Amino acid sequence: MPRRRDKATDPWGALAPIGQRVLMAGIGRWLRDHRRVARDSLIHVSQRIGTSLLVWLLIGIALALPAGLYLLQTNLALISDRWESRPGISVYLRVGADAELGSSLRDEFTKDAQVERITLITADAALIEFRKFSGVNDALVQLDRNPLPALLRIVLKDDTDPAQMDLIASRLRARAGVDEVSIEKTWLERVQAMTGVVRRLGWVLAVTFALGAVLVTATSVRLAIESQLEELRVMKLVGATNGYIRRPFLYFGLFYGLGGGVAGAMLISATIAFLEAPLSTLLGSYGQDIQPAGLNFGFFVGLLGLGGGLGVSGALLAAKQRLSDLEVI
Amino acid sequence: MSQIELHDVTKRFDNGAEALRSISVAFEEGSMTFLTGHSGAGKSTFLKLLLRLDVPTRGQILVNGVNIVQLPESRVPAYRQNMGAVFQDHHLLAQRTVYDNVAVPLRVMGMTERDVARRVRAALSRVGLLEKERLLPRHLSTGEQQRIGIARAVVNRPRVLLADEPTGNLDPELSRDIMRLFEQFQEVGTTVIIASHQRELIAAMGKPIIELSHGAMSRPAGEDDAETTR
Repeated sequence: MPRRRDKATDPWGALAPIGQRVLMAGIGRWLRDHRRVARDSLIHVSQRIGTSLLVWLLIGIALALPAGLYLLQTNLALISDRWESRPGISVYLRVGADAELGSSLRDEFTKDAQVERITLITADAALIEFRKFSGVNDALVQLDRNPLPALLRIVLKDDTDPAQMDLIASRLRARAGVDEVSIEKTWLERVQAMTGVVRRLGWVLAVTFALGAVLVTATSVRLAIESQLEELRVMKLVGATNGYIRRPFLYFGLFYGLGGGVAGAMLISATIAFLEAPLSTLLGSYGQDIQPAGLNFGFFVGLLGLGGGLGVSGALLAAKQRLSDLEVI
Repeated sequence: MSQIELHDVTKRFDNGAEALRSISVAFEEGSMTFLTGHSGAGKSTFLKLLLRLDVPTRGQILVNGVNIVQLPESRVPAYRQNMGAVFQDHHLLAQRTVYDNVAVPLRVMGMTERDVARRVRAALSRVGLLEKERLLPRHLSTGEQQRIGIARAVVNRPRVLLADEPTGNLDPELSRDIMRLFEQFQEVGTTVIIASHQRELIAAMGKPIIELSHGAMSRPAGEDDAETTR
C-alpha cells in the first residue's frame, strides 16, 4: 500500500497511509466541513441582513447594467435578423397610379439577375394593414380615396454590390408612375451598427462593473475577516490549513454573489416589465411580429453563476491579501 | 533520541536583536520542564520556535528526529495539530461559548460533531468546568478562563503541551491549581514545557528548570534539580 507518510516531513507520523477507507473518510470529512461552513456562513450573512442587502443591491446593480445591455443587444440583433438581412429596395408608386403598374414592374424586375424576389403590396393591402396598426379607422373612412401608395419590396441577392443596387434604383426612378425609391440597406446598417455599439459598450460595462462587483465583495469579505481576526489566529495556532481558514469567506463571497445575481435579475425583470408596452409598440410599428427577448431561465441561471463567480473571486482576493501575512500570536 | 532536541538554535530579529543564542537542549517524551528568566530573556521566542510560529536564524529543532525548521508550509498545520498551547491572556474567542472555544481544534481537525461533543465534555470535565459550557468567556473568572484555555490546548490530546506564563494573572493559590493541572497531563504521557517567571512557584513543583538570560541558557535543565527532564 502506498504511504503518504514521509519521515522527513511528518514528525508525529500523523499522516495516514493512503487506502480506500482513509480516502473515503477524508472525503467525508471534507464534505462535512463544507456543509458546516456553508451553513455557518449563511447564518452569518443572514444575521447581518442590513449589510447583506446593501451588498446584494450593489452587486445586483453592477450585474444588471451590463446584463441589461446584453438583452438590448440581443433584441436589436433579433430585429436585424428578422428584418430582411439582405439588401433591399422599396419602390413607392404614385398615389392613384395604374393598378397594373405594380404587377408589370414586378414581372419585369424579377428577371434581373441581382433580384432574389419581389413582393407587391397594393394600395388596398397597405390601407388594410395601416388600419390594423394605426387604430385610426374612423378617420380613414372619412377619406374619399386611398391616400397610400402601392409598394414594391425588392430583395436583392447577397452578392449585390452598392453600384449594382444604385443602378437598379436609377432604372426604377426613371419609370413613369414611380414616386420614390428607397434603398433600405441604410436602416439595416444602422440597426446592425447600433447592435455593434451596444455590444461593445456592454463588454466595457461588463468588465468595469464586474470589477466593481469583485471589489464590493472583496471589501465586504475583508470587513468580515477583520471582525474575526482573533478567531483566525486561534485557528492557525491549533493547526488550521490556509484552505480551512479561507473557506468561510469564500462562502460569504458566494452568497453575496448569488444574492447579487438575484437582485440583478429582479432589477432587469422590473425594467423589462416597465418597458414592455412601449417596446412592443415600437416593434409593431415596423410591422414585425417580434417578441422581445426577456429574462428566461437560462439567462437567470447565467446571472446567478456570474454573480457567484464574481463573489468568490472577490472573496479570494480579500482572503489572499489579508490572510497571507496573518500573524498567529 | 529525545522527543524534542534543539541544536545550537539562535534567533536574531531583523533589527539585529538576538532573542536566543546557541541554545542546545533536549526534552524527553512525557517530561515536564520549566523555562524561566527575566522579561525579554527569550522564553516566548523559545516556545514560538517549538510551535513553528517562527523559525530560528541558525540551528536545528528536531521533533522525533524531524527537523521542523525545514518543514514545508503545507505540513505545518498537521504538525501543530499535535501541539497544545496555553497563553497568559488565554486568547479565548469572546463571542463563542466555552464549548465552542474548546471545540475549535477538533473542528479544525474535521471531527464529527458527536466526537467533538464527547471530547469537549471530557476536556471540560478534566478542568472542572463542564457545567459552564454554555457561558461566554466574559462570564468566567480569570482562573476559569485560563482553565478553558488549557482545556482547548489538551482537547486534541497533543503530544506536547506548551504554556507561556499560564499563571501570570492568577493569585498564588489558583497558580498552584493550574500547575497541578499541567502535572496531571504530564502523568498521562504528555510532554509539558512551561515558560514562567514565577520562580517560587516553579521551584515548588520540583521539576527541571531551564533558565534563560539574554537569550542564552544560564542554567540547563537538571543542573541544580533533583529531577531530570525525564
